Amino acid sequence: MPREIITLQVGQCGNQIGMEFWKQLCLEHGISKDGILEDFATQGGDRKDVFFYQADDQHYIPRALLMDLEPRVINGIQTGDYRNLFNHENLFMSKEGGGAGNNWASGYHQGKSVEEDLMDMIDREADGSDSLEGFVLCHSIAGGTGSGMGSYLLETLNDRYSKKLVQTYSVFPNQNEISDVVVQPYNSLLTLKRLTLNADCVVVLDNTALNRIAVERLHIANPSVSQTNSLVSTVMSASTTTLRYPGYMNNDLVGLLASLIPTPRCHFLMTGYTPLTVERQANMIRKTTVLDVMRRLLQTKNIMVSSNARTKEASQAKYISILNIIQGEVDPTQVHDSLQRIRERKLVNFIEWGPASIQVALSRKSPYVQTAHRVSGLMLASYTGIRHLFSKCLSQYSLLRKRQAFLDKYRSFPLFDDNDLSEFDESREIIESLVDEYKACESPDYIKWGMEDPDHILTGEGNATGSVDPSLAI
Amino acid sequence: MDSTPSWNVDRPYLTGRFHQEINSASGLCESKGFSMESFSPGLDTPIACYDALLQELIVIDDLLSCLVGIEGRYVSIKRVRGNEDCISFQIDASMDLALQESAKRIFPLCESYLLVYQFVESRSQFKAGLVNHAFAAALRALLLDYQAMVAQLEHQFRLGRLSIQGLWFYCQPMMGSMQALSIVIKKASAKSIVGSALLNLLQSQAKAMAGDHVVRSLLEKMIQSASSAYLVILERWVYEGVIDDPHGEFFIAEDKSLQKESLSQDYDAKYWRQRYSLKDEIPSFLASAAETILTTGKYLNVMRECGHTIQVPMSENTKLMSSGSSHHYLECIKAAYEFSSSELLNLIKEKYDLMGKLRSIKHYLLLDQGDFLVHFMDIARDELIKRPDEISVEKLQSLLELALRTTAAAADPFHEDLTCCVERTTLLKRLSTLKDLKFSGTVSEKDDVDEPVNITGMDTYSLSYKVQWPLSLVISRKALTKYQLIFHFLFHCKHVNRQLCEAWQIHQGIRALNMKGTAVSVSSLLCRSMLKFINSLLHYLTFEVLEPNWHVMHNRLLGAKSIDEVIQYHDFFLDKCLRECLLLSPVLLMKMEKLKSICLQYAAVTQWLITSSIDIPKTDAQSNTSHETKKSKPIKRRNPSQKLKLASEDRSLVEPILTFEKDFTSQLRSLRPILSSSAQAEPYLTHLAQLILGVGRDQ
Repeated sequence: MPREIITLQVGQCGNQIGMEFWKQLCLEHGISKDGILEDFATQGGDRKDVFFYQADDQHYIPRALLMDLEPRVINGIQTGDYRNLFNHENLFMSKEGGGAGNNWASGYHQGKSVEEDLMDMIDREADGSDSLEGFVLCHSIAGGTGSGMGSYLLETLNDRYSKKLVQTYSVFPNQNEISDVVVQPYNSLLTLKRLTLNADCVVVLDNTALNRIAVERLHIANPSVSQTNSLVSTVMSASTTTLRYPGYMNNDLVGLLASLIPTPRCHFLMTGYTPLTVERQANMIRKTTVLDVMRRLLQTKNIMVSSNARTKEASQAKYISILNIIQGEVDPTQVHDSLQRIRERKLVNFIEWGPASIQVALSRKSPYVQTAHRVSGLMLASYTGIRHLFSKCLSQYSLLRKRQAFLDKYRSFPLFDDNDLSEFDESREIIESLVDEYKACESPDYIKWGMEDPDHILTGEGNATGSVDPSLAI
Repeated sequence: MDSTPSWNVDRPYLTGRFHQEINSASGLCESKGFSMESFSPGLDTPIACYDALLQELIVIDDLLSCLVGIEGRYVSIKRVRGNEDCISFQIDASMDLALQESAKRIFPLCESYLLVYQFVESRSQFKAGLVNHAFAAALRALLLDYQAMVAQLEHQFRLGRLSIQGLWFYCQPMMGSMQALSIVIKKASAKSIVGSALLNLLQSQAKAMAGDHVVRSLLEKMIQSASSAYLVILERWVYEGVIDDPHGEFFIAEDKSLQKESLSQDYDAKYWRQRYSLKDEIPSFLASAAETILTTGKYLNVMRECGHTIQVPMSENTKLMSSGSSHHYLECIKAAYEFSSSELLNLIKEKYDLMGKLRSIKHYLLLDQGDFLVHFMDIARDELIKRPDEISVEKLQSLLELALRTTAAAADPFHEDLTCCVERTTLLKRLSTLKDLKFSGTVSEKDDVDEPVNITGMDTYSLSYKVQWPLSLVISRKALTKYQLIFHFLFHCKHVNRQLCEAWQIHQGIRALNMKGTAVSVSSLLCRSMLKFINSLLHYLTFEVLEPNWHVMHNRLLGAKSIDEVIQYHDFFLDKCLRECLLLSPVLLMKMEKLKSICLQYAAVTQWLITSSIDIPKTDAQSNTSHETKKSKPIKRRNPSQKLKLASEDRSLVEPILTFEKDFTSQLRSLRPILSSSAQAEPYLTHLAQLILGVGRDQ
């Protein structure tokens, strides 16, 4: 069972989207709510073992760890339809059960105090796999548990499993509504630091954009959490299709990520998905060809990260890399033509300092899930425009910090004792440099970014990346 | 049972060759001056002694003997030495001149009879072959009629009702037919032809005699009889796929030395093309259908070889007859062809699951389901980095089986057919040894196909696939070799990709350190470029070449009508893939190998580059950053004072990276003119250029 991936669901949001993700995987692989393979699921050719393992009685168990500091969500799972799916040893609820009170520091601190329990679970899962490829963390960055304990886990994983990949699906808070979590900017900032330093890849799921999509694209007036979560699960399952339905390329996580992530820190990925439907919405069926799908994926309205930028700045945003995972009945001869079309129409604004193009992965669709559309597509992209999301986080943080608001809550935890707020400053610095790096990516001479180049070693013949010299074009 | 006993030939009375021989030269002169000595012994009275009326009776009697090939008292029969077919009749010159003349008019018939009779006898021998036998039998039947006529004439003669004019009158109708037959027979025995040649001769003769209604219908009857034996052979061939042809007359030759096993072993196996072949001599009435007949039998034969006794459904009207102008037999052949072709196609597609096999080969050799390879390369890594002659193929095989069992391949029933092999040579060398692939370009052989000194299993590893008869017809050794070549290339690209991914992960490991303006950031961008290159190359190979071409072939195969079409489509697919995968273009392939080797070299030194670029913490270096001093904080697990050397501080680190980068870029650039110049002739190269060079992006 090679290249397994262990999923860690932390906090309320993490467990909710995680649950949706597992529901989707079960559907796609023909696994029943109790983990038993359905009778019709005989087609094979899929890789269930990346995300599941089989118990002695052959029923499938997700490689998932469910962690929360308050019992509500996990209890819900334990009493819900899928109660028999998960390994009960893999559920972790804090004994106090009081949650983290939306406080990053509390989550972080509590995570630290139960480190042994958590790591026991993780080690056990890791030992149960032949060649663990990495971890996937689902969490939100705004609350207390997902952000705080999630951050702690990221740091610990990085230390303990330094050779393993860590990918996160991080839900960013909805910025258009007044949050009940007033300290959200603090939590976000502190989590972002860990996401920057301790994760190999962060798939950004922006609640702002998810809500917008639900309202504008799906015409739901007041999207519920479960509706936005179904969008998230769609994205999560689609982004793992190449691992679960093996094809020519991207059959391992490292291959998938390495092709997308340019530099160690610029590892935040934006997603787009089309065609989007929520359950029982058959009225929006459209024609789907490869070109249609690829074109729609590039439209802002299908992108699951909100653009906070002003128009002028937004127009400068550039794609560093794009991977389109196309599922369904695809005529492979269309792929080239579609890419050609997109290139001719200049639909994508790529970086100028290096080679870049749209990569395509054709993937099988689950034979057990009936969809109205023949072709669907997911875009994973490294996009410089994502920096505006971080800038927004930074500016919100600055507003709060200027007023020294709510800092007392944090001071009561060891990381911030003695009124030591350097953790905040350091986090801000790191996020600022991240924003700077993304900004630098937009300029054609990113290669020289930060280079004091006294001898002009980089301006000679070697133009650092083998990038295309336009004068040489045919 | 090879031949008839020798007495059959030795005793001339059985073959009608009992007539005395004369020298052809002397025969002529002797016939003029008829001498007593030359006459048969015991002849006491010269004919001139008799009365003219009596003479007539004697002559009629003699002639009646002559008509069945026996010498008379005053008419002798001599064979001309050295000319089998030339028979001279000599008549006593003292005979009444009028009678002589009348008798001489009848001689041609006698001569024809003798020829035909001799022909019948000699062709009835075993070695003459079925067509000759049948022809001879038909002739014999005709001769029986003829003999009956002679007997009746003799009867009339005994009754005293036959005059020499009467004899002449009655002989007339036979004359033309026997004449025509004797002409045919002369031609036939002159070349001593057998089988189809004889049929062709009869056919052409019948056409030549088209004006003479009687003769023509006679010849047609002969053709029909003669070909009936031939059609039986044909019938067995087109209905059962068996060559039942002891005399080698049939127009299809079988080469038994070509074994079907050679298909899966021999690269140049000729089984399918040459096991059965058409001979030069094809009966003209079958000429138009010859290819169809050949393939029909071939198909049936394949099914028989598979252990299926397939018989084309027979009924009364499927009996093959070459009767008249109706082209009934052609329709029968066509029906048989369609039956056998669809039957074989069904067999191969359904029972032997050709499509499943091809799909399975695609999973493994074309990496359509590449997850097994990921796992295999994980577990076989240590074995594969050895030198080819140190590698244990058995170990690789067991690792491969493990990899197959634990990945998506487990669901494929055919995965057990996959085997490992380790070649001794690299891809370039292998390609250059396969001459028929036209792997030759502008490069001269001596300088370019040199083996690198330290090749490892990574350079030479290949998969093989067990293909059994009858699928080896389609997936022959040659086809498999082509698959292997493609796999070889893909495998190596995957290897490079993996190494670069590892390098990428090493970069990832130090992201906690600020790398702005350091050698690492230069290196990470180079790594990205290389990854981009290899990914684009893989993308091109898989999604631009293999997948679309496979798609086209798949659809064609579904609509294929015969196995030959299947073979043709499949071969076409492979050749196209081979060409578009650059495997037939040494110049491009060499460039790719060069680029890949730069990537590999870079990946190999990354670890060293990264570790040596991490600055050893110095006390004075820490003091200027205030927040880093709080080392007591548990959160800072990593040594906070670790940092990367700035590129400007340490040229020794930047320089090797820049060298790699320079090499890589210049190689990549040198690809551009090659691609753009060849793109005219090979349009797929434009795709490649767009992908790996980004050409067209800026237009």
